[in-house]
This record gives sequence, C-alpha cells and structure tokens, in this order.
Amino acid sequence: MSISTPAGDSSRQTAPPAAKKATAGAGRPPAARGARPSGGGGGKGNRPGGGGKPRKPITPVKVSQGRSWGPIALFTAVGVIAAAIIGYGIYAVSVGPKDWKEKAEGISGISDFRKSDPKLVDTRSHKSGSIQYAQTPPVAGDHNVSWQNCMGDVYDAQIANENAVHSLEHGAVWVTYRPDLPKDQVDALASKVRGQEFTMMSPFPGLDKPISLQAWGYQLKVDNASDERVDEFIRALRLNATLEPGVGCSGGVTATGTTPRELQQQPQGQ
Amino acid sequence: MSTTYDDAAVAVSSVSAPPRRRALLVTSAVVAAVLVVIAAFGAGWFAQSRNHPGEDSVEAGFARDMSSHHAQAVEMSMLALDKSTQPDLRLLAGESAQAQQAQIGMMQTWLRDWHLGPTGHRPQMSWMTDGASLMQNGLMPGMASAADMTKLRNATGHDFDLLFLRLMQQHHLGGIHMVEGVLAETHETDVVWLAQSMANNQRAELEFIQQILTKIGA
Repeated sequence: MSISTPAGDSSRQTAPPAAKKATAGAGRPPAARGARPSGGGGGKGNRPGGGGKPRKPITPVKVSQGRSWGPIALFTAVGVIAAAIIGYGIYAVSVGPKDWKEKAEGISGISDFRKSDPKLVDTRSHKSGSIQYAQTPPVAGDHNVSWQNCMGDVYDAQIANENAVHSLEHGAVWVTYRPDLPKDQVDALASKVRGQEFTMMSPFPGLDKPISLQAWGYQLKVDNASDERVDEFIRALRLNATLEPGVGCSGGVTATGTTPRELQQQPQGQ
Repeated sequence: MSTTYDDAAVAVSSVSAPPRRRALLVTSAVVAAVLVVIAAFGAGWFAQSRNHPGEDSVEAGFARDMSSHHAQAVEMSMLALDKSTQPDLRLLAGESAQAQQAQIGMMQTWLRDWHLGPTGHRPQMSWMTDGASLMQNGLMPGMASAADMTKLRNATGHDFDLLFLRLMQQHHLGGIHMVEGVLAETHETDVVWLAQSMANNQRAELEFIQQILTKIGA
C-alpha cells in the first residue's frame, strides 16, 4: 500500500483529465439524448450538430463544481502577495529610515517655508546689488552670483545676505547669532561649524532670538547654543537642503561686510 | 495546481465529508499565507538592516569625514590653479582637485545607497580607533586651520607655492592616516577599493610634492 500510494497519487494526477473527458464524454450522450426529446419537440433532432445547444444545461453543474478551488487558490496567492506588500509598506513607514524632510519637519519650532511659501523657495535668480528679503535672516530667494565661502568658515563680522543666500542654495547651513550672545555659547556654536564644510557662521545684529539657523527654505530660532535642536537642524539639512547637488562651498567670498560682493578679483598670475 | 484542486473537489463530492476537507484546505492556505507574510517581512527587514553599513558604522563615519577632508584639499588645489605659475604645481593641483572631487561624489553616493544622511550625530573621527585623540584644535588630521587658509589666500608667487605644497603635504599625511584607519576595520568591498586607491594616489602625490619642493629650492 505504502509503495503503491505514490504511484496511486501520480496516476491520480494524470487520471483526472481522462476522467474529466470520460465524465464529460459520458455526460454528453445522456445530455444529448436528454436534450433531444425537449429539442425534438421543435424539430425531431435529426441534425447531428444540433447537440451543441443541449450540452450547456448540464456542463455548468460539473464545471462549476470542479473549478471552484482554482480561483480560490489564485485569489489566495494574490492575497498573500498583497498582504506581504502591505506588511512591508507598514514596516517601511513605521520602522524604516525617515527621509531628511521628515526629520526636519519633526524638529519642534522649525519654520518650513518650502511648505508655507513654495513661491519664495522657487525664486532663485542671480541679481546684483542689495536685495530685500521678507525673513530675517533670509532663508531663500534671489541672490548674488557669488556665494559666501561655506567651508566651515566662522566669520567674526556680519556677512552680506545676498551672498549667504547663495550658499544656502548650495546646501549650506548658516548659523547666525545676536552679537550679545555670551562668548562660551559663540565658541560652542563655532565648534559645530569649524572644519565642517557646508556650514558657516556669522553674527547678525537685531535678531529676535539669540540664535537663528538657516537652510534653503528652513529656519529655526533658539535661545541657547546647547539646545539639542541645533544639532538636529544641522544633521537634517546640511547638504540635504541643496538645490544643486554636487556644487561645493569653496571658491566663494571670504570677506565680511553687508555689501554684496560680486565675483572676486583673480590675481593675474600668468 | 488547478487540477489537484479539481481532484480534491471531485474527491470531496464523492467522499461525503466536504466541510472538513474545505476547512483543512482553508486552514492550510491561511497558514501558508501567514508564513509568506512573515518571510517577506523578515526578508525586507533583513535586507534593510544587514546589507548596508549602519548609521554609526566605521564606513559611514569614514565616508562623511573623508568627504569633508577631501573638500579642503579641493579648495586648496583650486586656489593653486588660480594663483600659481609653477607648471608642475599646477599639474598636481589639477589632478588632485579632480580626483578628490570625484571621490567625494563616490562617498556621498555610498551614503545615499546605504539610506544614510551626509551628516552623522557623532563627532568627527569617532568612527576610528583613538580617532578623538587625533583631532587637533577641533580639526581632523592634516586639515589646514582657518588661519592657514587665510594666509594661503593672501600669499603670492614663491611664498604661495611653498605654503601650498607644505599644507598639501600635511593634508595628505593626515588623509593617509585616516585611510589606514578605515582599512584596518572594514571589509566592505567598495570602501576597501577606494581607500586603497586613495592611499596609493596620495603617496604618489607626496613624492611629487617632494620633487617640486626640491626643484623650487625649498
């Protein structure tokens, strides 16, 4: 028995088509016969091809019984795949890595001008001379053709907004502080900037808070250099906020002063 | 597949216990579905967490810090291309700027591929054994200070050439130190490949720098 079972199984698998045909074939004659009397009421059933119509009433019974598990298996398979996709989707959203925009939005007190003022964030032409900005310090908009050097430069005097905004476009985070910020806090901020390209720092008189951080389209104002949101802001937005990936921070204006600087004069070497 | 189910259906109709058979089939289908969901979920999680270096890995720390380190070499080399009249030095500067900027792109691409940001939450050099002790005045090994950079921008002629070569020498030596640090700890194929080529390039450039220094009478 145990030896014949596999053979029995395999023969069973090959058997059904034959059995099907057999039952279908067996079904036909009776169906045809059975149909003839009913059809015979009209035309006596003298046509052999006329059996096509009578077949239908009976075959659906067998077919529907036989096929019903096929679709169920198919739907189950599709359901499993869908469930897997949904399951993974839930994982990706809940547990998976967040992108930098989500991280930025998660910082409490951040101003997201990419959401609140998309027009401002799309305004980025090169203009010479001084430019009026709606935000203090500015976070986006038209700017000077030259950018402020943002190779972790710590400027000890004010820099031009028009050059600084261009650095933001390159992906820099600009740290500004009110000149009355205690020296130890200025040093603490400088240590986060120095040697870290795509950051720069400068004093900014008249700030409504002691410290203000800018990236293209984002701003965060805090009271203290030890506020952990300072690091969160830099981590989320440094380089990520760039509108021009691959463009660097060197080769920019290194001078201070609030008058925007055009292209720097190059020494005539040769 | 469908034929087996057909058989089952035929068997079911003839064996006279259809509810039990159906219950068995439904149960096994549900069990199979659950197993597939778990397998897919597990595979996704595994792929996400194990295949790439993580947030605090040596590789991620190296990619971030070496990008910053390279960026300063590019800045100095671009100054040299602007200011120096020494053909050898200009050749070195051009080669160095191109190679290092391209390598920054490779390292930033790794971070993107690993689903990591360009900025980590740990201090510079903390990925390397004794890395914190290598920091000098808050700068990574070999990095020129802000004062050095100002001096370099203001220097001209022979003074510029000398200062550039000395700063670049220091920069390369520090860079090779960092490269050795990552090579000691990583088995990530691309990282090993790029780090080794950095060490080779920068050692060759150090020889070249020495030749130019001798030539210009340093």
